[in-house]
Amino acid sequence: MYDTPTTEKNVNTATTKISARDVQVYYGDTHAIRDVSVDIEDKTVTAFIGPSGCGKSTFLRCINRMNDTIDVARIEGEIKIDGADIYDKKVDPVQLRAMVGMVFQKPNPFPKSIYDNIAYGPRIHGLAKNKAELDEIVEKSLRRGAIWDEVKDRLDAPGTGLSGGQQQRLCIARAVATEPQVLLMDEPCSALDPIATAQVEELIDELKQNFSVVIVTHSMQQAARVSQKTAFFHLGNLVEYGDTGDIFTNPKDKRTESYITGRIG
Amino acid sequence: MTDATASQSAAAAASRSSLTQIDPRTKKRNAAEARFKLYGVVAILVGIFFLITLLTSILANGVGAFQQTFITVPVELLEEKLDKNGNRDPADLRKVSTFGYNPLIQQAIFDAATEAGIDMPFEKPGDMKALVSAGAAAQVRDTVLANPELIGQTVEFRFLAASRVDGYLKGRVTRDSIARDKNIDAEHLDLVDVFLGTGVVAKTFNMDFILGADASESRPEQAGIGVAMLGSFFMMLVVLGLSLPIGVAASIYLEEFAPKNRWTDLIEVNISNLAAVPSIVFGILGLAVFIQFAHLPQSAPIVGGLVLTLMTLPTIIISTRASLKSVPPSIRDAALGLGASKMQSVFHHVLPLAMPGILTGTIIGLAQALGETAPLLLIGMVGFIASNYPTGVASGFLDPNSAMPAQIYEWAKRADPAYYERAWGGIIILLVFLVTMNIIAIILRRRFERRW
Repeated sequence: MYDTPTTEKNVNTATTKISARDVQVYYGDTHAIRDVSVDIEDKTVTAFIGPSGCGKSTFLRCINRMNDTIDVARIEGEIKIDGADIYDKKVDPVQLRAMVGMVFQKPNPFPKSIYDNIAYGPRIHGLAKNKAELDEIVEKSLRRGAIWDEVKDRLDAPGTGLSGGQQQRLCIARAVATEPQVLLMDEPCSALDPIATAQVEELIDELKQNFSVVIVTHSMQQAARVSQKTAFFHLGNLVEYGDTGDIFTNPKDKRTESYITGRIG
Repeated sequence: MTDATASQSAAAAASRSSLTQIDPRTKKRNAAEARFKLYGVVAILVGIFFLITLLTSILANGVGAFQQTFITVPVELLEEKLDKNGNRDPADLRKVSTFGYNPLIQQAIFDAATEAGIDMPFEKPGDMKALVSAGAAAQVRDTVLANPELIGQTVEFRFLAASRVDGYLKGRVTRDSIARDKNIDAEHLDLVDVFLGTGVVAKTFNMDFILGADASESRPEQAGIGVAMLGSFFMMLVVLGLSLPIGVAASIYLEEFAPKNRWTDLIEVNISNLAAVPSIVFGILGLAVFIQFAHLPQSAPIVGGLVLTLMTLPTIIISTRASLKSVPPSIRDAALGLGASKMQSVFHHVLPLAMPGILTGTIIGLAQALGETAPLLLIGMVGFIASNYPTGVASGFLDPNSAMPAQIYEWAKRADPAYYERAWGGIIILLVFLVTMNIIAIILRRRFERRW
């Protein structure tokens, strides 16, 4: 299934979901992101690739303002989701993060039951009026996370007792439970074995029907397999952005070519 | 020069080539390691030796305090002595002081001796005074005042024996040691020996030591640590009630919310320094602020509690911050990533995970406060409470009281060797409390320790 040419997967009509213009990020005196402008399409999987420390994770964390939690981080430029500037003073990052879900590199389920892991987001956002609705959300989210069949009999078991791959799918299910519009994934498979990786990748492919997915990955193969659009970052710059097929087969920039052929990074 | 190096390296190569032959460098390293292990074992053995010495000496000296000698005799409550008018009027009954009761008790013991057919050099009942505690008369008087109908009857009483009789049974007092003692004669001890056989004098477990109040310098047999225990309890309530919420709130703010700048750094350094400030400094601070400035009552558990709160806060803040820090940041990220506010992420996820550490730190802090003496001496938490228990919880905080370590210090200061035994006994009780608290801390840590 991974042999399918990636270009054919790109069937959605392009509507811009996230648009970034001249984004600069500073960590103290370090200029981590320089002049990044990019338009991320709705219901598409967009991959950010690049060598370590190139700023791809940093840029990802700008999209749901997770960088706000770092004291020394400073962000300039503008990022718009559906035309609204998320760095506007009136925007509450808490509300933003309910709309822009995030999955982290290391599976980080709460040390609570599987049910409570999923139900936490809907509870704090008041998405369910009663227990029955909450049960429904939990089941739906676990199904979307492609983990329902494995855990439906032990929803009371601790989420931390699952295997690594299951934990990561639980985290994805937890992220989709709050009904976000954008799902950010920061190297979601780097801590997983190949089988779990395959399951998560399959899941990502399904998720793009409902969400706009942005995934940071170290693995170029993974980017080629799951994404329709790819952005290549290098030393804080967005070097090249385009259809995944084009980036991998016909890169315009020398640096992109060097990276995907394994000469740098 | 070059030849030398060459030959050296050749030798080294030769020695390295053989695995069975241990080269001198390896031998040296192994020897160093063996020596280091030996030092460690010796250090631990020395520690264990001191611990055992400490425990055995505490037990050997203190166990006696939990046993007390009692004299059980039937006392005839003569009406002509206790109620001359015969109308049982409480006001009249009160007029008879303990001096009026003493002869009855002495007569009772004298009768018991005559009854047993003991050949003794004493002729008058007054000679029996040396055997029984000075508190005995008050004991009879209290009983009579509470039950006037007993007058005219013969009632069996269980009196505390005088501290020297008690000491004789415990081996503290010998015939040699009382040679120059005016309070008791060798003949009294002979009498005690006989009484032991007849069951009039017996050594039993002494609940009054654990639950009772302090007594005056001349009546060590009556002294108990109970009231001081209550004083400590009220203080601990104050410490727990103030230092846990304040300490946890302060650490959560500093750890999770406060911006990292020069001010918070300064506060951080100062909290660490406060933990190392000698306790007597807190004592004089408490004296100046709470008593001289705020005019809170002296010797009251509330003041002691406030001073100990100041002392305990740094401990709690430091341990709470450490346990908050040990919660993996990925948990915070997970909660924030779901759209939880900072406060929600802390209270829903971080705090429950840090709870065992916080509780452990709090209990250790409390245990430390429980054993603290110096600041209590400065604020006068050495109240002499001979009989009255604090009546209620509310007044208990404001009533003068003592605390366990201060009481122990007081006893150790007193001249009578019987008090020396009491002090060791008090230390046993204090240690039981501390060990219990530490065990609770360990259980809590084990119980709530979670993996993530």
